[in-house]
Amino acid sequence: MSIDINTILMYLLYALVFPGLLFSSVFGLWLAGVDRKVVARMQKRIGPPIMQPTYDFFKLLGKETIIPANAATTTFMLAPYVGLVSLVVLALFIPVGGFQAFGGMADIVVVLYLLTIPSLSIIFGGSASGNPFAGVGVSRSMVAIMAYELPLILVLLAVSKAVSGNGMLTFSLEGITTYQKLNGSLLFDWRLLPAAVAMLLVIPCEVGSHPFDVGEAETEICEGPLVEYSGAPLAVFKLSHAIKMFVMTALFAALFLGGIATGMLWLDIVIALLICTVVTIICMSFLHAITARLKVEQVFKFFWTVVSGLALVSLILVWIGI
Amino acid sequence: MFKKIIENSMAKSPWLFHINAGSCNGCDIELVAVLTPKYDAERLGFKLTGSPRHADIVVVTGPVTAQSKERVIRTIAQVPDPKVIVTLGSCPRSCNVFKGSYSVVGPLDNYVDIDVSIAGCAPKPEAIIDGLALAAAVLKEKRRAK
Amino acid sequence: MSMQYYQHFPVLSIMILFLGAFLVALFHKSRFMRTFITSVAVIGSFAMMIALIKPVMLNGEIITYWLGGRVPDGGYAIGIALEVDAVSLFFGILVSLAVLLSGLYSFRYTKQDDARDKFFTLYLMLAGGVMGIVLSGDLFNIYVMLEVMTFAAVALTAYRSWNPNAREAAFKYLVVGSIGSSSVLLGIALIYANCHTLNLAQISALAMSKMNPSMLLAFALLFVGFGTKAFMVPFHPIAADAHAAAPSSVSVLISGVFTKTGVYGIIRVCYFLFRTMGMPAVQTGVVLIGSVSMFLCVTMALNQHDFKRLLAFHSISQIGYILTSLGLCTALGIAGGLYHAINHTLFKGLLFLTAGAVLYSTGTTKLEKLGGLAKKMPQTAALFMIGAFSISGVPPFNGFVSKWMIYQATYEKAMETGSIGYALVTVLAVVTSVLTLASFVKVGQSVFFGEMPIEYQNVKETPASMLVPMWIMAGLCLATGLLPNLMFKYLLGPATGAVLNSPAYIDSAMGAGYAASQMPDMSLMADPVIVFAGAWKPLSWLLLFVIILAAVALASLMSKKRTSESGAVIDSKHDTFFGGEENTFSQVASGDLFWGFKHNMRKYLGFMSNAHNGITNEYVTWGVVDLAIIIVYCFIFI
Repeated sequence: MSIDINTILMYLLYALVFPGLLFSSVFGLWLAGVDRKVVARMQKRIGPPIMQPTYDFFKLLGKETIIPANAATTTFMLAPYVGLVSLVVLALFIPVGGFQAFGGMADIVVVLYLLTIPSLSIIFGGSASGNPFAGVGVSRSMVAIMAYELPLILVLLAVSKAVSGNGMLTFSLEGITTYQKLNGSLLFDWRLLPAAVAMLLVIPCEVGSHPFDVGEAETEICEGPLVEYSGAPLAVFKLSHAIKMFVMTALFAALFLGGIATGMLWLDIVIALLICTVVTIICMSFLHAITARLKVEQVFKFFWTVVSGLALVSLILVWIGI
Repeated sequence: MFKKIIENSMAKSPWLFHINAGSCNGCDIELVAVLTPKYDAERLGFKLTGSPRHADIVVVTGPVTAQSKERVIRTIAQVPDPKVIVTLGSCPRSCNVFKGSYSVVGPLDNYVDIDVSIAGCAPKPEAIIDGLALAAAVLKEKRRAK
Repeated sequence: MSMQYYQHFPVLSIMILFLGAFLVALFHKSRFMRTFITSVAVIGSFAMMIALIKPVMLNGEIITYWLGGRVPDGGYAIGIALEVDAVSLFFGILVSLAVLLSGLYSFRYTKQDDARDKFFTLYLMLAGGVMGIVLSGDLFNIYVMLEVMTFAAVALTAYRSWNPNAREAAFKYLVVGSIGSSSVLLGIALIYANCHTLNLAQISALAMSKMNPSMLLAFALLFVGFGTKAFMVPFHPIAADAHAAAPSSVSVLISGVFTKTGVYGIIRVCYFLFRTMGMPAVQTGVVLIGSVSMFLCVTMALNQHDFKRLLAFHSISQIGYILTSLGLCTALGIAGGLYHAINHTLFKGLLFLTAGAVLYSTGTTKLEKLGGLAKKMPQTAALFMIGAFSISGVPPFNGFVSKWMIYQATYEKAMETGSIGYALVTVLAVVTSVLTLASFVKVGQSVFFGEMPIEYQNVKETPASMLVPMWIMAGLCLATGLLPNLMFKYLLGPATGAVLNSPAYIDSAMGAGYAASQMPDMSLMADPVIVFAGAWKPLSWLLLFVIILAAVALASLMSKKRTSESGAVIDSKHDTFFGGEENTFSQVASGDLFWGFKHNMRKYLGFMSNAHNGITNEYVTWGVVDLAIIIVYCFIFI
């Protein structure tokens, strides 16, 4: 790869504007707004404006940042930024409507592992605050990670097996998208339907949305790991939460609905973003509005039995090659 | 411009932290009623938070009992600036019917400066929303003054 | 053929360590001499290993060194040989690096102990023994060195003999370890009876044509014997005791080096001596043992309340990964396993050293008693986090790359064989990785973060002489994660090739053409091709990460928050929020963590902790039963 100034500028543009920092922030905050609005409408409320998460973000930027005396300062202050950046990097590698800023580098196992970094940043940040509520929250968040990781890997393996043929294994997201462009979206493959459902249930747990938000339960443990955060770091965590919605839904779109190709790139992207919104509404807003928060051991049990079971069914179906 | 955005956002996204300083629970119930579908304070951006670190507006109910005094003061101190302190109901301003009790050390303004008072025993939800909207405006002013 | 100067390096690198041990004992009164001799020995040994990279790894030479110049005569290798191919050198580098770094650490770490001369004597004996194993080309020599190593390790485990746990652990280690040693010895005797030689290369050439039930028994015995040294399930409980009781720098050796000899032995037995790894039955067996070790030990680790015991169980869990990967018998699998071996030495060494630093500063490794040390020991906390991220496979640290390869290798194997069992191994490996992460979150929360107990107010940062080896290890953790290409070029590629190319090994010792003349079937894979199913370009990722981090930092600087001004009640502003209560000590420690997980798994976890009851007799029974099962398995399926 020859390195000239145009290439570098282009990559910088990708990293900072589209689909990187700026775009994923704006779109993520928009998704979070839609989520809150839809939940409110389902509860027969008017609900906050769609821009509400954006207002929250800017307000928090203007607030004072308090570092508790008990906190391990460096970890406490660094954690939110590391989490945010790893999410933005992740956003660059997930194909949105076939558009991939850095092609040929995305790999589902890498994605799986990068997805744990934002959660880890919350965990270690909360842990570093020295607050006992945060301690409880850390424990719960970690159990939530343990809970969803098993079904997630089963889903990823099932998808990977479905698109690999002739003994050639592919773990690359690009390969998965290409396959779908040729053979149609995987969502319409009935064998993968259970996996898609499982993925829809994994998304809210990964994002930390109702009813799986055991780690950040504001009524029981004062928002858990976030309890001591204020001002800009908290704003960054809220932003990360929003970007995570975008990343997870985009991942769903790439894995199961990657086959949509109109021939025009911008239209593909718009369709993909619409899919993101719809998935957000289905798996986050609807679930949020109709359920109460589960207990932590229920979350774990649910994911390791029901959700993993669904994913496993898909894996076996794909495996025996019906 | 950036400053302006933040100031405007201040007024649009006030998060509440609710402290019960020995209240009879009447005002607490009314405060929660404000968030229900009928009144829906969330459309103005109000949200109850679980931690004082996240709050902009501290809502205090109750006449400040001897047991709760220290905790109330400590919790209010833990809210990051700019912050607005709102008293809900008559108790925190005047101790109401509890005045003179051996266990009541209020009113609250002996200890902290109060920005907005919402009167009533208990106040109507409409009054609460009105008071909170005022508090949000005060919040913006405080930010601007900095 | 004229001798090149570097051909003497293997024997010298062993000799220098043993000589050092002798000299340290001789000059035991002088602290300076002790430090000097130990440093020279470990640095010298490491330097010679590094110097061999060029001829062995890059030029593909295999160094055969006949002690006393007694070359094979009449088709039989009578003399004792040192034979260094890429596999040996790979493990040699690994061993000498770990020995070097933990040796540097020990100078300060053992300051509070007496009889330090004996410590360093034993330390160098252990190091020399391990080097002898990995560089030797003679089966009986390997056994002798194995014993030297084991006894040095037992003595070092009991080094802090005022601690009753240390004495008990050493005893258990001795008893259970002797099962392994005796089965190795018996295996060697059977091989000698059949092949009339003890030279690895010659046995390797002859074994297949002389296959009979007693050779099969020898295979099973050797496998279990080396498995004991790797602490594979069910020999894992002794490792936990030994690691917890031994001084931390010795734990580094036991975990990073001692267990590697077991892995090395298994490679030699399965890929070279008997060349049985190609058989599906052996693959299944090894992968099964590996996966069970992997999962069982990580769940045991989640149950622990002692920093070092927890690390010990993780150590075996990671060995499980290595065995699983090596058992696949594909190029990718072998490369992944070897990669994980080197990573394991680095990150586990780092973690043991941080545990040692905590022990040095506070006097305890009990998770319940510690807390909030990150404020007092920020560097140690940072090092711990690097180690924890590496072991749990968080990109861009090294654990990720090797685990990524292992997942691919297992899943590819599943595709190849069409068996869903290997796919489940992939799933198990990922789940194990998450559980590993969880238990390190627990350690972080209990030791370095959270609230600090009053008695640790005066704790100081780890001394610099202990921090330096730790930082080197941390740097290597990052470097090996970021530069996989260099790792492949200089270490993994040649080593993987050598694992699959036993005829070259044979020919180097016995003369060209010997392998072809003795072996009916030579499945030669001189140039293994390692194909990835995905892409991992750590440097580009890191670059992106840095760019965006810079942008975010810039943005956050622009919106610089105001500093807090003092109010009337400022004193409690920076207290942690605890429902308005005063800031009392309220640490959430390990016992309470992961309740949701433990509650659901309570039957399994309860059963496991009841099973690990610490009774030596039971552990011995497990070992013997395991040996019996493996023998029966070999007779049925091979």
